[in-house]
Amino acid sequence: MGPQEHRHDGGHDHDHDHAEIGQAGRPGYYEIMETAIRELLVEKRLIGPDEIRRQIEVLDSRTPALGAKVVARAWVDPEFRRRLLADGRAACEELGISFYDDTRLIVLENTDKVHNLIVCTLCSCYPRPVLGLPPDWYKLKPYRARAVSEPRAVLAEFGTIIPDDVEVRVSDPTAMVRYLVLPKRPEGTENYSEEQLAALVTRDTMIGVVPVTVELRRAAR
Amino acid sequence: MTDTEHLLKRLPNDIGGLPAEPIQQTDHELEPWEKRCHALADVLDFHKIINTEEKRRGVEALGAEMVGKLTYYERWIAAFANILFQKGILTPEELARKMDAVETRWSSEAAE
Repeated sequence: MGPQEHRHDGGHDHDHDHAEIGQAGRPGYYEIMETAIRELLVEKRLIGPDEIRRQIEVLDSRTPALGAKVVARAWVDPEFRRRLLADGRAACEELGISFYDDTRLIVLENTDKVHNLIVCTLCSCYPRPVLGLPPDWYKLKPYRARAVSEPRAVLAEFGTIIPDDVEVRVSDPTAMVRYLVLPKRPEGTENYSEEQLAALVTRDTMIGVVPVTVELRRAAR
Repeated sequence: MTDTEHLLKRLPNDIGGLPAEPIQQTDHELEPWEKRCHALADVLDFHKIINTEEKRRGVEALGAEMVGKLTYYERWIAAFANILFQKGILTPEELARKMDAVETRWSSEAAE
């Protein structure tokens, strides 16, 4: 837990400033509601007193680095790639990535003929166990509304131009079934180690809005 | 098409395919309470108190105005309150009293 995250579900022996207190010196209405609901559920013994804090630790442990590890392994190990495409969840679990939610994972492979893009049009379904929480733009109207009807225009806004002879396939996850894009391995990485490959793979490449490039990484450095 | 037909065919969450603005590549670090709200959603799902689809429908049931004006996690916590009332797990009065108590407690702690 970071310094700003403390619990209100346990003892009350802390003597520091409240992170929840905003500029006006008062916590917001919805924050008060969140705390009240949580405390009532604990009092009624419907949830355990430590469960929220423990789940925050789980959420904090999930970052796109996990997905990148999966992608890099699939690039170097054809047998793993086969298993990953057959059952995404089982293959991730093989690498020690547990699924804390009750979801299936379907991994969609980008090829020379197909480019995959993921959008949850109804809300914000996302492969959280392997990527962490989604970025805000993934949850906002412009991406959700347009990605299904004009994916090439949306991709262009991310700087991604897909050639006309490559099919763009858009997949819309549900509460139970989530998607992860297996991006194409960039050219010129034949001598890269698995670890070096994983370092090239970003969150957005696994949502499908950008390709994995060697240049991108250099520019970011 | 009548002028109200679209209201039945498109609930507030159902925006796939609609025209919309260019994408702003925005993101923010979650506020501590937002992260707790997310963890609460997961824990409610683990205990089969409120699952992901019930949460989504709960957000939709807030109606277009609230879906449009509340932030992401504000919608979630408002939906949780309503669903917990509907399931008889909490009462509105109980929540109101608890919210008063939390606010009073925080005010007195802040004054210390």
